[in-house]
Amino acid sequence: MEHMDQRYFGEFGGQFVAESLMNCLRELDLAYEEAIHEEAFLRQYEYYMRQYVGRENPLYYAENLSRGYGAKIYLKREDLNHTGAHKINNVIGQMLLAKRMGKKKVIAETGAGQHGVATATGAALFNMECTVYMGEEDMQRQALNVLRMEMLGSKVECVKTGSRTLKDATNVAIRSWAKTAQDTFYVIGSAVGPYPYPKIVKEFQSVISKESKKQILKAEGRLPDVVMACVGGGSNSIGMFADFIEEPSVKLIGVEAAGLGIETGKHASAMALGQPGVLHGMRSYLLQDENGNIQIAHSISAGLDYPGVGPEHACLKDSGRAQYVSITDQEAMDALLELCRLEGIIPAIESAHAIAYAKKQAKLMGDDGIMIVCLSGRGDKDVHTVADYLAGRGYLN
Amino acid sequence: MENRIEQKMQQLKQKGKKAFITYMMAGHPDMEKCKSLIQAQEHAGVDVLELGIPFSDPVADGAVIQDASYRCLAHGVNLKKVFALTKELRGEGTELAIVFRMYYNTALHFGLEKFVEECILNGVDGIVIPDLPLEEQGELKRLLEKERAPLLIQMASPMSGERLPRILKGAKGFAYCETGSDAVGQSESVRRESAFYLAQVKQIAKIPVMMEVEQAGDASCLKDVVDGVIVRAGFISLLEENNYNQAAVIEYCAASKRMLEEF
Repeated sequence: MEHMDQRYFGEFGGQFVAESLMNCLRELDLAYEEAIHEEAFLRQYEYYMRQYVGRENPLYYAENLSRGYGAKIYLKREDLNHTGAHKINNVIGQMLLAKRMGKKKVIAETGAGQHGVATATGAALFNMECTVYMGEEDMQRQALNVLRMEMLGSKVECVKTGSRTLKDATNVAIRSWAKTAQDTFYVIGSAVGPYPYPKIVKEFQSVISKESKKQILKAEGRLPDVVMACVGGGSNSIGMFADFIEEPSVKLIGVEAAGLGIETGKHASAMALGQPGVLHGMRSYLLQDENGNIQIAHSISAGLDYPGVGPEHACLKDSGRAQYVSITDQEAMDALLELCRLEGIIPAIESAHAIAYAKKQAKLMGDDGIMIVCLSGRGDKDVHTVADYLAGRGYLN
Repeated sequence: MENRIEQKMQQLKQKGKKAFITYMMAGHPDMEKCKSLIQAQEHAGVDVLELGIPFSDPVADGAVIQDASYRCLAHGVNLKKVFALTKELRGEGTELAIVFRMYYNTALHFGLEKFVEECILNGVDGIVIPDLPLEEQGELKRLLEKERAPLLIQMASPMSGERLPRILKGAKGFAYCETGSDAVGQSESVRRESAFYLAQVKQIAKIPVMMEVEQAGDASCLKDVVDGVIVRAGFISLLEENNYNQAAVIEYCAASKRMLEEF
């Protein structure tokens, strides 16, 4: 079914939420549309992007990495942002919106903890009371980020239901929001959820592709052949794609997590075998069992460990505008270590999935090919996982 | 044949009585016991039964129902088996009105058309889908235009505000009113707010107004604006505390009915 409705991307998206949230979503959409067309709001957002986040960040030509594989690989250095990942771009935008709407409290869900840390940071900066919901398993995998959030003055609420990861943290956040929406703003970290969230997250993350486009034109005098990013819910990737979607010569590639391998069933690639369904307020591709129950995703990367994907990605896949591929835990870890040694950059395990596929893609492109890979976050948070992995202890799944 | 929910609502209205609606998770604690507990409730005078279909991500439910849902999933309850349960109940003469409460993905994955067919075949009288607001109901509603198809029960919330006329227009069976708070019976201000909202619903709705409560008695101060109550988590807790004992269930239902009569 095609919707002409702005709440939909093709047949994906929509607002599958409780009646009690419908007015809040409308209020949010109105506030957002008003803000985003207002010069003063945009100037404020740009101010924080520049002075607080440290934008613009470099588009770095990874010469050593490129040498081994053919094409010129450029890395968009979101890892150099304050708090160490792209998540802050969106958080600052939503925080400014929350303040404008007169909200005093914010809540957020988090998987790897990056969005949680970014939200806790924004809450400290803008003096908001903040609660972050995080799965018990993720809290163990990302203990340092839990500590960071607490240091920043946020409360981290341990979610012990279901899979005890991002999916269930999101359930609890939605449940809590349905009860408190009058004074509470829900800061969603990925390009998922009910309309207008996917639209809002895309807008605030599109700074990634807007900068990249300008930077690559300056460096190379032309658009890239390929733009690539990892996809969990899909926020860094939709931000990396945004300004290139209307450039038909640029190939867009999203890299999902294949976990232990798609064929093992232990993966997080909603678009590899997933079927359309409804979860967390949206219709999109989801990992589901034969009864339509949502399956637990598996990935060594907590940030990609999500059984769904943002609705615009589902639409880009169906229209053929973007291609979605997947990378196993092992391929990602190999790429992570390789980037450390070749470039002196420790990437997040999430971002290492994109690096791993970039190596494969570069070989197909030849020496004059140009590719931009979004290095969505830094890997400091992952050193324990890397240590366990190298010691053969696997991870906590 | 007229829809059992509408029939029941009509009867209650004529008698000037309030409706008592209970909630059970299908297959809880197992299919056999669930069936006999439903039959016991019918004998004890329950007016409508809300039958929950377990789902992996019950975002609109609190801890008690989430827990029941996970346990039912763990012992293999699925929509197909719940249809078999309702078929058996109808076969054994149960005339109690049955409303499925489920998440949209369960029906979507089953196939909406097939889902509606099975509801008709197995005597399901209504469906409540908490994650399917008015704006997303079009696809399902078109399929529900069939004869004997179940009624799509519309939910309302204290946060609905100016949406109320729109969502209640054309609503069937009864208006399902969430109270938006866990503690309706407790604080005076919450009670006043609830009364205001329920009065609005009552004024707009052309159908009976049912209010979700913890215990039947919680609605006593709202008797002028509600036509009945839905006991969900409170009923599950009662079942669990009494180890699914039938006599306890019958006694509880009868006591709740009496309480509603005395309002």
